[in-house]
Amino acid sequence: MAQPDRLERVTDLLLVLLDASRPLSLREIGDRVPGYPAGHDARRQAFERDKRLLRDEGVPVLAESIEAEEQIGYRVDPDAYYLPDLGLEPDEQAALNLAVAGVHVGEPIGREALSKLGMGGSWPRRAAALPLVDLPLVDGLPALPLLFDAVRTGAVVTFSYRGGPRSVDVAGIRFRGGHWYVVGRDRDKGEARTFRVDRIDGLPEVGAPGSAELPDGFDADGEFARDPWHFGPGEAVEVDVAVDPAEAGRVVTELGPDSVVERTDDGGVVVRLVVTDVEALVSWALDLLDHAEVLRPDEVRAAVVARLEAFVGTGTEAVR
Amino acid sequence: MSPAADTATRLRRLLAILTWLAQEGEAPIDEVAARFDLTPTALVAELEMAACCGVPPYTPDQLLEIVVTEDTVSTRVGTVLARPRRLSPREGLALAASARALLAVPGSDEDGALSRALAKLDRAIGQTGVEVELDAPDLLETVRSALDAHQRLTITYYSASTDQTAERTITPRRLFASEGHWYVDAWCEVAGGVRRFRVDRIATAEPAGPAADEVLADALPDVAARDEVSGSTGPLGAFVPGPDSRRVRIATDPAKAWLFEAIPSVVEGEEGGRPVWEVFVGGDAWLERLLLRLGPDADVLEPAEDRDLAPEAARRILARYGNTTGA
Repeated sequence: MAQPDRLERVTDLLLVLLDASRPLSLREIGDRVPGYPAGHDARRQAFERDKRLLRDEGVPVLAESIEAEEQIGYRVDPDAYYLPDLGLEPDEQAALNLAVAGVHVGEPIGREALSKLGMGGSWPRRAAALPLVDLPLVDGLPALPLLFDAVRTGAVVTFSYRGGPRSVDVAGIRFRGGHWYVVGRDRDKGEARTFRVDRIDGLPEVGAPGSAELPDGFDADGEFARDPWHFGPGEAVEVDVAVDPAEAGRVVTELGPDSVVERTDDGGVVVRLVVTDVEALVSWALDLLDHAEVLRPDEVRAAVVARLEAFVGTGTEAVR
Repeated sequence: MSPAADTATRLRRLLAILTWLAQEGEAPIDEVAARFDLTPTALVAELEMAACCGVPPYTPDQLLEIVVTEDTVSTRVGTVLARPRRLSPREGLALAASARALLAVPGSDEDGALSRALAKLDRAIGQTGVEVELDAPDLLETVRSALDAHQRLTITYYSASTDQTAERTITPRRLFASEGHWYVDAWCEVAGGVRRFRVDRIATAEPAGPAADEVLADALPDVAARDEVSGSTGPLGAFVPGPDSRRVRIATDPAKAWLFEAIPSVVEGEEGGRPVWEVFVGGDAWLERLLLRLGPDADVLEPAEDRDLAPEAARRILARYGNTTGA
């Protein structure tokens, strides 16, 4: 062979590191893996490149101190590298493949996951026109995989949210209405809170596995604050809103049929909302333009009117 | 194998092949090559190379157990490098969220194979704690049935961008969920072209007979249609400016900048110390909503005829509240 194949060297390196029962020095690695240059510096350089490639591919190459001339040894812990076999039946594999094919997450990352589980390569084209689902997952949401891992490992996370530091025992992440949320127990407030993931500033810091202290029976589903008007710190008030037929379908789809307290003959509805953030509710109602009217209580009606009166009379003024 | 494939790509593919092959046991070379997008020659070369890899002293138990015959390749479960590997957080998230999303599609089988696969995944990597909620509009099933059966539908549809309710006859072509809402791309007989409808804004839908063959044969534009004005590709289902849309320039307080994040818009200079945004507007009602959210301090710079939109919308809504201030 004219040129040694680097893939062969990298594959040998991976096998040797997986096989190692103790960290191996670079000298020992050079003895076991064919293809490294003889000189120390050139060997070190070639090894560092291979090590970086393996780590970029997700191989957990450990560097540990050893009592030898070189002081650092390397190995791969098989338990950290391999996954216990999932034991998926053929129909379960096919279902996972459909999910990855039908859900658009912005990158072919689901395919890479399937490859690692032994379901790589192209699958026969799906026969039925399955609905596509678009799920923003990686684009602009670097915090999301970290939060996912925190939930999985039971870790506490700290992050900056709306300018303040938060320390949260996370219980779950949830996609709703086009946005990702994380729900958990806010340590400073001592109660359940819901945070919008795209409003987290920078990257969250994830604590050690098992560091989260969630009360027994914490119900992530029940504690999830579903709508913007639930996010406020205020007293909960019940607000009734009349919605015209034109927007009734969308509103009932959004709020769920349980929110409907009255249906009118023309197809309109009256919905009842529990509100802790009146400003958020007013914004929501104004998005319906004159197809909706807050019926009660009076103070929320007054808030809508006040917001609108600020607009009236400004329209004909000269633009600065 | 493409000559350009770098070592990392080749390693990833080799591991993908071995892990898949271990479950199959033995497979025809042609099938494996097609599946992993290689020529049969390149596949054999790659696997023969791997079969030589091992750990000194290279006794048979220290070599990768790969057998290449004239027509088939094989390996066995448990072979080093052919076992399932741990997922990165991003990969685990992508897989769990994709499965949850498909389960959230109304009408999916909640006790079916996908749920069982997800439960096994949860057991192997720890509780994933991911939930996905999608809308379940009343008429989703009606639209889906019409799509599957190639039927036309007569619908009453409320267009939020123009604030008009109208009756149209459509041929559904594609159904998808974006940002949590369901949309149908359909041939619209009124418009004489493919239009995008939000399923939860369809008030009524009645069967209107079989679809025309030429409509079904017509190629659909890509689901993430290109934004012809700005040249950028928005998220699926986002407002796509058409030929009738207009550009509107708005000066507003920087604190309101986040309201522009979700809409096709660009920052375009400055006016009186405030950023100016250029947005693409498809209908008055859409612009009214935006301006009501921005508050009375936001100014429409151009076009001049849009300056009265927000106060007029405010008066219209106030009239509903029995308030005639300024009317």
